[in-house]
Amino acid sequence: MSTSPIRRRHFLQSSTALIALPALESLGFRRFASAAAPAVPPKRLVFLGFGWGITTESWFPDIKQPGADYTLPEGLKPLARHKADFSVVQGLWNKYSNDGHWGSTMWLTGANRFGEPGQNFHNSISADQVAAAKLGLDTRFASLQLNGSENAEASGHGPGLSMAWDVSGKPIGGHKGPVEAYHRLFSKDTTPIEQQKAMLAQKRSVLDTVMENARVMQRGLGKTDKGKLDEYFQGIRDIETRLSKDEQWIGVPQPKAPIPEPAPGLAGKEEIKIMYDIMLAAMQTDSTRVLTYRQPVSTLLTSIGIKVAPHDMSHYHSTMGEKLEASKLRDLTQSDLLAGFLDKLKATKEADGSRLFDNIALAYGSNIRTEHSLDNCPTLLTGGGAGIKLGHNIVAPKDTPLCNAWLTLLHGVGVNVERHGDSSGVLKELIA
Amino acid sequence: MRLFLSLMNRPLLLLALLLSAYAPTHAIEAQGRAVMDQRHKALFQETCVSCHGPEKQKGKFRVDDLPFEIKDIETAEKWQKVLNQMNSGDMPPEDEKQPANAAKADFLDDLANVMVAARRSLGDQKGVITMRRLNRREYKNTLRELLGVDVNVSDLPADGGGGFDTVGANLFMSANQFEQYQLIGREAMEEAFAWQAAAGVDKKLHYEAETTTPIVKKFVEYQIDAQKRAQNWVQAVEEAAAKPENKDIVAKIRKESKNDSIFRREWARIPGAPNPRTFGFDKKGENDADLANDSLGAGWLKYHQYYMAQPAVEKGAYLGTQTRHPAELNVNYIELLVPFDWPVGDYIVRVKAAATKDAPPERRFLDFGIYARTGRVMATHEITGTMENPQVIEIPLTLTRSNMTRENRLLFVREKGSWDTNEEGGRKRAEAVKRNGIGPELTLWVDWIEVERVPKTDRPKPPGIAALGIPLDDKSPAPAAPEMRTALERFATEAFRGTTPPKEYIDRLLGLYDVRRKAGDKHSAALKETLAVVLSSPMYLYLAEPSPDEKRRPLTGMELATRLSYFLWSAPPDKQLLDLGRNGDLQKPEVLAAQTERLLNDPRAAGFLEAFTHQWLGLDRIDFFEVNRSLYPRFDTGTKVAAKGEIHETMAYLMRNNASLRDLLKSDYVLINRVLAHYYGIPGVKGDGYEKVSLPKDSPRGGLLGMAAIHFMGGNGERTSPVERGAWVLRKLLHDPPPPAPANVPAITRLAGKVLTTHERLLAHQEDPQCASCHRKIDPIGFGLENFDAAGQWRTEDSYMAVDANGKPDPKSKKTWTIEAAAALYKGPAFKDFFGLRDIIASKSDAFARSFSEALIEFALGRPPGFRDQPLIAGMIQQAGKKDLAIREFIHALVASQEFHTK
Repeated sequence: MSTSPIRRRHFLQSSTALIALPALESLGFRRFASAAAPAVPPKRLVFLGFGWGITTESWFPDIKQPGADYTLPEGLKPLARHKADFSVVQGLWNKYSNDGHWGSTMWLTGANRFGEPGQNFHNSISADQVAAAKLGLDTRFASLQLNGSENAEASGHGPGLSMAWDVSGKPIGGHKGPVEAYHRLFSKDTTPIEQQKAMLAQKRSVLDTVMENARVMQRGLGKTDKGKLDEYFQGIRDIETRLSKDEQWIGVPQPKAPIPEPAPGLAGKEEIKIMYDIMLAAMQTDSTRVLTYRQPVSTLLTSIGIKVAPHDMSHYHSTMGEKLEASKLRDLTQSDLLAGFLDKLKATKEADGSRLFDNIALAYGSNIRTEHSLDNCPTLLTGGGAGIKLGHNIVAPKDTPLCNAWLTLLHGVGVNVERHGDSSGVLKELIA
Repeated sequence: MRLFLSLMNRPLLLLALLLSAYAPTHAIEAQGRAVMDQRHKALFQETCVSCHGPEKQKGKFRVDDLPFEIKDIETAEKWQKVLNQMNSGDMPPEDEKQPANAAKADFLDDLANVMVAARRSLGDQKGVITMRRLNRREYKNTLRELLGVDVNVSDLPADGGGGFDTVGANLFMSANQFEQYQLIGREAMEEAFAWQAAAGVDKKLHYEAETTTPIVKKFVEYQIDAQKRAQNWVQAVEEAAAKPENKDIVAKIRKESKNDSIFRREWARIPGAPNPRTFGFDKKGENDADLANDSLGAGWLKYHQYYMAQPAVEKGAYLGTQTRHPAELNVNYIELLVPFDWPVGDYIVRVKAAATKDAPPERRFLDFGIYARTGRVMATHEITGTMENPQVIEIPLTLTRSNMTRENRLLFVREKGSWDTNEEGGRKRAEAVKRNGIGPELTLWVDWIEVERVPKTDRPKPPGIAALGIPLDDKSPAPAAPEMRTALERFATEAFRGTTPPKEYIDRLLGLYDVRRKAGDKHSAALKETLAVVLSSPMYLYLAEPSPDEKRRPLTGMELATRLSYFLWSAPPDKQLLDLGRNGDLQKPEVLAAQTERLLNDPRAAGFLEAFTHQWLGLDRIDFFEVNRSLYPRFDTGTKVAAKGEIHETMAYLMRNNASLRDLLKSDYVLINRVLAHYYGIPGVKGDGYEKVSLPKDSPRGGLLGMAAIHFMGGNGERTSPVERGAWVLRKLLHDPPPPAPANVPAITRLAGKVLTTHERLLAHQEDPQCASCHRKIDPIGFGLENFDAAGQWRTEDSYMAVDANGKPDPKSKKTWTIEAAAALYKGPAFKDFFGLRDIIASKSDAFARSFSEALIEFALGRPPGFRDQPLIAGMIQQAGKKDLAIREFIHALVASQEFHTK
């Protein structure tokens, strides 16, 4: 690929994919996905969650080798080429988590399921949504929630519609599988502007109609039921917010997709790979700066020829053998996929010449360690966007709130909230 | 009933009366309190207080002032911490004094259960029923009742999050979900309009199966000819290769080639070797030698010749195995495409088929489905017709707008399980070749297949369509505004289950319609869009029972009608029920009881019974994993479907006949079809569907614990899991659910890889108090069920192999043992074998009745049963108890209760 100054200015470069995007400032300012071409590349926050945890014995570095000089454990070997660019943090947990099959429900929230009297389930806002409230203002999508295209329960994620939970602790829906995500991001709207405006107006009057109906219903309801109907109002308001955003973006063409449309029916390993490409594309086009991906585990196993059932695999201690092998192979495959993603993040250049990798904060992990163990949640942090220490085996004091790590990432990307979930402060060990 | 109702008005008295007779399993629940037994004070004092007491508070944690009764979340969190720390083995620290194993196990057992009680009492909704939206099933059923169509709702997020899918507190709404409702609502309107448009269409297609025969015949001739040509070519190549002047180049190619075929691919480098094309092999741009090499083997020629040698090939086709790629030659299944221009509607598929004289019993089953390559089997039938006297089987088929593409309307029939997957089909085929040198014997013959669309002009229009009363198409002029207004109002009232929305809402709908028309939409398109909005309005989506002052109040007649129909049909009330609700008659006990009977007798009751059974018994596990087919070849897809059906058919039988709930614990009959009759080895099924068949006295079948699907769930498709099974029995049958699997218990690793019997392996649970506290109850039950293998077949032996360093099972290490099902329930009776265990469980029918009652309450009322439901539960058991726990009595008692009539 050419490295002439002109080309460098005009194109986001990637050595791993054919990605060519007009550099915003020099091609006669045309907005694509973001409101303005930032002088400094924006910060992005990404969470990748897998349900059933990892293989404890072979995924974590030795806690006796804290710091930069540690031996890469077997389960992370595929990440060897990135060793200086990520940190593994040990000793983190969500202290209120007691559900051994919920790998994602409270992963980003740290909530106490039983925290609300008279309720058998309670959750609170997830870290990504805290970030989206600020980082999402200038992009077409405030945040993007992606899901594997399979039943979340089979993959050990627990209840939820994605990994994201809104400000009132209600689940936020996600896009299921690569095709849906791709279309959400890149489907062309070729309708003339006037017609788009008319359609927006129609959508609004549909919303007005159902709101009218909701208000009539609301009049007769008691407090609890009103609370339930509030979810409906909130849903409609969210769509209205989205419509307002759509309105701002009328006439701004959808970004050209840097990748072709994914083939339908991809599952497991292939699906994750493509989903990473879509996430990369979403960031390249600055369509959003906050992403979560609730990765498939069950179909991942099938796709790499493992016949052991996923939950069974996480209980490898009972028999070792086949289940342990499956668990380890899963680790290797996931690490390999992540390594591929990091390659692409590093290969993609921003308009100012820095790497996309330098402006991203990425967390990769699960609320479940293995089996039903919810302590020492596997946590791998990477990216240069949050100013965290990379290349280290960080051993935090046992039972440090996982939310301390989230708080540190939030601060790192410029979202200076006082606390998150059950955080007790930022994670000092993590700050570079 | 009347006596019962009047008692219900004085709950305290009733409670006092009933508690003595029906002591619940946990004393905690009876009091509605979560109290740790005082006897554990000692353990606390001895092992915790020295570090977490008045003097020292290590980790800033103090336990000496921890109340033994849990009344608030803060106390609950502290106790949870105690439980977690002790479960994980972190406390007491290794170098400190340890409690005795038995005391620790008892402590953890009690604490875990107290925590469950505490969570329940702190989360108790105190009888308040949260307003809820329709869940995914109800939403689908409601569309069906309103519009007469079945639409795919799988794009809506799954409901749930613990408990039944009717529990309002767990049913959320979001922007995405609203958008899905809009899309599905629009699709439902499209579908409904399409059904109306096609109501009178009749179509029929007849396909003679012998169409296959000339194709096979020609293929055989081709194979013989091509093989001969290939042999000639090979000979010519070999001759050229043998020439002395080619020695060097031939040696070089030989060295590069793994085998003769690969060697021959390089024919062009050998001077004098002839072009395969001159022998008639043209691989269209690829290496022609590949085609010649392939033809040399003439793959499955013998099988194809065997096929042609069968009788009656001139009149029909056999269902064999897969030999060549299906695009080249297909003798595995017969496909039939429903023509693309045939509309949506109800169809009948007829297959005239026979089984050959020598067909073994397990090979007389025919699978029917759509799109053979991915093998969606929709029905399996045993073929009892003979070659002399074939039979015609009829299979109903509904085609909707989702069946528009080829892979959704390409029907197939094949022998059951002959090619469920490539792996499995290949395995069966290889076994047959080993046996007879040819391949799987041909056992099923098909004469013809017919597809017919039956016009249904006499069927009344679905209520939503009937309510509109205006033309749906664009053939006649669009209705005028007043007519449109009335139509919209009637439709909305129908959709909102009898409630007419205010004028303003109809105005807005009318406005939406007008805007669409002005934007250029035709009448039908604008109408569909407008009606779809009704289907995503809150009055459609939510089951509201208004109560502005938060007071609990009796339901109105209409509300009662809706609650009853969503309970017993998972669908909206029909006209009769609504009318009775509207005029108040439904509130009369005898009318309500009669309506309850009517609803239960209606086919729509399946919507309740199947969903309830599925969730109550936790049947989703059946689809969590696949069976290992090389270990359990008989448990193929068709058998799995049939085994799952057995559970539902049994429940349906109980409901139809108002039989006793006890029959689920033990019975002298089963409800099986021919597939299962064969699988279980029980004769006596006469027809094509499920039938009641009496069991011999010593049969392990009969009741849930005799069902293959139940035992399949209690394993992982490969090995049984006594823990999974034991916990299931405690949870579902004995009303003694073990606390949820605790987090952070250290795993037992020392036995991994050792060759032990299942029994020996699980005994390790008894050594650690953290494990023993639950497993001492769970494991013995699991042992008693070990005679059922992971696919639910009866067995007397089991074996285990260690895996070698490469992860492969090592046959040398194989240990086989006779299953020893004798054990004793924790603090309970001993049993010698499965039959003994089954008798013990069957004797605890009151506990089972309680489990069933609680599940019914949660499902019907949409909230978990709370402390104040104890009288209701007791009342249900009592009323049913008078009739030997007849299943409908539980429902009648619940429907008659004050709880059911109260917002």
